[in-house]
Amino acid sequence: MAHQLPLGITLRDNAAFENYFSGANGEAVFALKQCAEGRGEQFIYLWGTQGTGKSHLLQAVCKLEKNAVYLPLSEKESLVPDMLEGLESMAIVCIDDMEQIAGDPEWETAVFNLFNRVRDSGNRLIITDNVKPADLGIKLPDLVSRLNWGLTLHLQLLNDEGKLSALQLRAVKRGFELPDNVGKYLLSRNTRDLSSLFDLLDQLDEASLAAQRKLTIPFVKEVAGLRD
Amino acid sequence: MLSLWQMCLDRLEGEVSSQQYNTWLRPLKAVEDGPTLRLQAPNRFIHDWVNDRFLGRIQEIAHVLKDDDPVSITLEVANKEPAFQRKIEPEIALNKSFSSAQARPKNSPRPESNLNKSFIFQEFVEGKSNQLAKAAAQQVAENPGETYNPLFIYGGVGLGKTHLMQAVGNAMLANKPDAHIVYLHSERFVADMVKALQHNAIDNFKRYYRTVDALLIDDIQFFANKERSQEEFFHTFNTLLEGQKQIILTSDRYPKEVTGLEERLKSRLGWGLTVAIEPPELETRVAILMQKCSQLSIELDSNVAFFIAQRIRSNVRELEGALRRIVANANFTGERVITIDFAKKSLSDLLALQDKLVTIENIQKTVAEYFKIRISDLHASSRSRSVARPRQVAMALSKELTSHSLPEIGNAFGGRDHTTVLHACKRINNLRTEDSRVEEDYKNLLRILST
Repeated sequence: MAHQLPLGITLRDNAAFENYFSGANGEAVFALKQCAEGRGEQFIYLWGTQGTGKSHLLQAVCKLEKNAVYLPLSEKESLVPDMLEGLESMAIVCIDDMEQIAGDPEWETAVFNLFNRVRDSGNRLIITDNVKPADLGIKLPDLVSRLNWGLTLHLQLLNDEGKLSALQLRAVKRGFELPDNVGKYLLSRNTRDLSSLFDLLDQLDEASLAAQRKLTIPFVKEVAGLRD
Repeated sequence: MLSLWQMCLDRLEGEVSSQQYNTWLRPLKAVEDGPTLRLQAPNRFIHDWVNDRFLGRIQEIAHVLKDDDPVSITLEVANKEPAFQRKIEPEIALNKSFSSAQARPKNSPRPESNLNKSFIFQEFVEGKSNQLAKAAAQQVAENPGETYNPLFIYGGVGLGKTHLMQAVGNAMLANKPDAHIVYLHSERFVADMVKALQHNAIDNFKRYYRTVDALLIDDIQFFANKERSQEEFFHTFNTLLEGQKQIILTSDRYPKEVTGLEERLKSRLGWGLTVAIEPPELETRVAILMQKCSQLSIELDSNVAFFIAQRIRSNVRELEGALRRIVANANFTGERVITIDFAKKSLSDLLALQDKLVTIENIQKTVAEYFKIRISDLHASSRSRSVARPRQVAMALSKELTSHSLPEIGNAFGGRDHTTVLHACKRINNLRTEDSRVEEDYKNLLRILST
């Protein structure tokens, strides 16, 4: 399994709803947009494996609702549970990668307390994870039941066709065109995990700009060092 | 000046990653204070982070934007006044424009009592599992401070303890609108007390909690091992009881079993009436679903309600979560009538016992079992039909169900070339349309692997 690249890099494209290819995930996108517009559910639990675009969607929510905050728990090494203090005053709190703190009593209690404060303040909370709440391994039963309380949304991985469309959408938003054959070539020769593919696409874009060359299969082979 | 902050933000948004921006800069609130722009962070940690990494840059940008009329920018931790510090007379809020920007939704609590108005007795679905607790709560609401004091409600998570407790508070308010009723989670009590100690305001804290008409504290098991809070609560408890003021407490277990509490406190918790809420039985679960639906103006056939209630047994929160899932799905798809099939489909993720993680190893194992061959045959170089076909099927499944690349898949099958994998995928695809047995095997395997 490929490592997820540092978010600072993978999300530099200014993740928004417009550049998320929803495919089979239309319902989740619909619910999150509603949430970002201050409607719909107060608590949303969004789960799906790596590469389904959870972080992307959370950034998109923050873009729409300015009074929001994003917490990447994948970076919990440099964060502390106390940083959840006072966040209930934000219209939306987004917590990414909840699995990172499952089983950690201090963090679990902090999230539980935040949950209660958000409930009392009438604001909104979105939590993402790679498994559904019941499988998360949270020890604090009070927190588990609260996670189950909200609207649970499952993000599906795109199939190859969807991944090709997502790559092409990404390319268009970056201002270039990804021909079908090159896209299919990328999909057949690489780990087909979307965040890695996006990263590769960014590299290719920069390389083709630098070399003043079009994106063709031979060029891609050269840049990415792929074998036949 | 606030537009200056907006301009700073716009500039910063282009300079840092959107993640950094959303984590550290968005939560800052700007307050205009004479010639100073005061930035408020929601807590000490965010304050320190911004101070170390961004404040210098923010000041630079502001300086460039307003070099004709320099502004000083300061950073502080937003000091949210705890309830006990709030004065009765309306204060002129410095950041009024910001606080009013957040409109409260309908069911938000009254700021003074923290009660959620939707938690009332009429909305509480009664069943065998909770009727005793409800009856006791209603008694208390009619004669606060007299019949059962304290009222101690205990039971597992998500069974309606908070609802019942707040229903008493709301009923008391309905009878006596100027009653001073305070609901809070035990964590808030602890946190406020820490603040009071820090700010030398412990007397205000004591006065505030000891002069309420009713004190409702949720989840008191979270007082465990917090000796100082327990002691303060112990005295508050005694004062209120003497003054015949109502106390209602909830916990996940029977008072004597709450660990980490002082003995003298434990024994007092049981002085009044202790009632349990049990998990709702099937009929109550159905009734809860039907009531939720009528609140949402959704028609739910009782057969469907039974279907859901039979599968979601543990607690009310999960039941409500399941219903939310179905309703959201119906809203999205425009489905008017919720049938059992529709409910089943909407809940398929939640109902599945365990989501299997599909790996190449898992696929190889399953395929080998299915075709009654050894896993090592899949890695071996033999081209005999009896193992070559299953091997191709396994490769095609790996391509379909995992994110691995063709070279990676080839590697996992005894170091084969990616063109071999590509060939296998094409071959199986063709065979599936030509040979119904291959199609059936493939479908069976897909089902085994993905359910």
